[in-house]
Amino acid sequence: MIARKKKTTIFTAVFLCLVLLLGVAGCGPKESADTEDGKTVIKIGTVGPLSGTAAAYGTNVLRGIEVAVDEANASGELGDYVLKIVSEDTEGDWSKAANAFQKLVDIDKVNVIIGAVLSSETAAGGDIIKDAKVPTISPSSTAVDLTKGNPYLFRNCLSDEVQAIQLAEYAVKELGLSKFAILYTNNDYGKSLKDAFEAKANELAEVVAVEVFMDGDENFKSQLTSIKEKNPDSLYIAGYYTEAGKIAQQAKELGMNVQLLGADGLCNVVLLQIGGEAVEGAYATSGFYPDDPTPAVQNFVNAYKEKYNEDPDMFAAQAYDATRIVIEAIKSKGPSSEEIREGIAATKDFPGITGKTSIDEEGDTIKDVIILKVENGKFIRAR
Amino acid sequence: MISPYYLQLIILVGINTIMALSLNLIIGYTGQLSIGHAAFMSLGAYCSALLTLHFNLPFIVSLLGGALFAAFFGILIGIPTLKLKGDYLAIATLGFGEIVRIVCLNLEITGGAVGLRGIPKKTTLLWVVLAVLITAFILNRIIKSRIGRALIAIREDETAADAMGINSTYYKILCFGVGAFFAGLGGGLFAHYMRFLHPKSFDFMKSIEQLCMVVLGGLGNMWGSFVGATILTVVPEMLRSVADLRLLIYGAVLILMMRVRPQGILGESPANGGFKNNSYSQWIQTRLKKSLRKRSGSDKT
Repeated sequence: MIARKKKTTIFTAVFLCLVLLLGVAGCGPKESADTEDGKTVIKIGTVGPLSGTAAAYGTNVLRGIEVAVDEANASGELGDYVLKIVSEDTEGDWSKAANAFQKLVDIDKVNVIIGAVLSSETAAGGDIIKDAKVPTISPSSTAVDLTKGNPYLFRNCLSDEVQAIQLAEYAVKELGLSKFAILYTNNDYGKSLKDAFEAKANELAEVVAVEVFMDGDENFKSQLTSIKEKNPDSLYIAGYYTEAGKIAQQAKELGMNVQLLGADGLCNVVLLQIGGEAVEGAYATSGFYPDDPTPAVQNFVNAYKEKYNEDPDMFAAQAYDATRIVIEAIKSKGPSSEEIREGIAATKDFPGITGKTSIDEEGDTIKDVIILKVENGKFIRAR
Repeated sequence: MISPYYLQLIILVGINTIMALSLNLIIGYTGQLSIGHAAFMSLGAYCSALLTLHFNLPFIVSLLGGALFAAFFGILIGIPTLKLKGDYLAIATLGFGEIVRIVCLNLEITGGAVGLRGIPKKTTLLWVVLAVLITAFILNRIIKSRIGRALIAIREDETAADAMGINSTYYKILCFGVGAFFAGLGGGLFAHYMRFLHPKSFDFMKSIEQLCMVVLGGLGNMWGSFVGATILTVVPEMLRSVADLRLLIYGAVLILMMRVRPQGILGESPANGGFKNNSYSQWIQTRLKKSLRKRSGSDKT
């Protein structure tokens, strides 16, 4: 009996001791030097999956940020300030992202955070950065309403809703289409594209047929036959390039004469390889177009290739733009967290490599989505 | 004042200690290999968060509500699956964990793939310390009582325990219910600390992480659960400074530990009742040897 009591007491004592120990450790001086080569350091924290299944996204985002930071430091555009990246891994797990956010604001005392990558990670960090008053801009979290009610949280990315709505507007106003058919893949991506496109297209013109398919399907003839009966003048494919290429082929075989439309899931050379002649003239929205001849885009693509020996993707480009938005904010307002927040919130018609970007009052992105067209077996920029 | 980052670590250590303690009851003391413990945590987390969000109940009520909800499912899942043994039970609990995760991912009330946002922050250090102490106290009382002896008897030899008049199914379900209750309590604390929930953090890997805490600390040793939870929560954070090597070192530490001390850091507490003083892993080894010997014997005849 006595032994048991003793054990419980020891347990309590050790637990409390550890609590105190960690607490004391936390009080120690943690401030590192804030100057480098006589310039004041502005710390940019990054949060994203650098390991685990989502590591590819997180790595590309970090690389995009690194390219922008290297560029700004080399050009000396920030005058007496120099940017420094503090990157934290989340393993793709939002509870670890919460630790990463807390560490960045608390231990590293970063001025601004670029991240997180996955929507769940950004959502988990939202309250932390709001309490700490550290502005955060996510380059890739597309979840609905993520930035709502949080004055410190922003994002720079292309949501499914926005690209579907802008393509519907473009199709009606610029291409003069009026009778739409929709073929969507049965997952989150396909459904949210379909819902947004259907609503907007019905508002501006008419949707005559909606059919569904599964990822990995080979034969779409039954869906296409019933679409053909309704006689639409265009077909919106809310899915990925492999299926889209096959759909285009089979629609052609059935003798359908429709304008093909799609979202960023189509923007891949595989579409051109599978679809061949059948995808000629198709339009698709895209987050980033690396073959764009404008100097800003080519500078980024070349710098990225030089550094990582790889072509940049949409994640890297959006991260680059997000970092540019932060740099512009520092230049226009100042380097403190509050000044950067004001600067990001005031972003208007920023000429990014992923399209002209503004930040609205909720911290959400307003972007002129890039629209690509297939011409002579190549993607070209239509808008 | 403790800096918020260290405070967060201490709170997570506390919550993980509760998870490891409750899993230790199931695996370490009763010998039932369950690898779906994160599912009970998520049931408790979602239930208590929803009770707070929709009914605005006091924190203690929603915590207990979440814990009871998890316990209910622990018993419910225990009734059919605890007739299974070893690997089969492990697979059944794994399946249960996946079901819970997929359901949470698709239900509207749990926020689906977007996650549940806007949970008020109610978990404080005091709540967590109290919860850890209460959990440790109650589990300690259970283990030292007649029930605990029965559970250990089941672990050592279920057939013999049955022959001695121990209703093994009843005790196994009881232990699953109690384990799930405290897992749900940990989940409730977690939800009200993180202010956000998403099924992604309650997947198979989370269950394995909790299993690691128990095994690393020492199966059948309550102190071990505390040590295991502390190490596996703090070490990955400490290693943040070596960024790229972080997970490599973490993995190496685990492998090294299991190589040098397979019974866990503390091993089984000798105060467990004197049925056997050696550790659970040794027990598994002897069982394996016995069954192998039996099989080779039957092959000869």
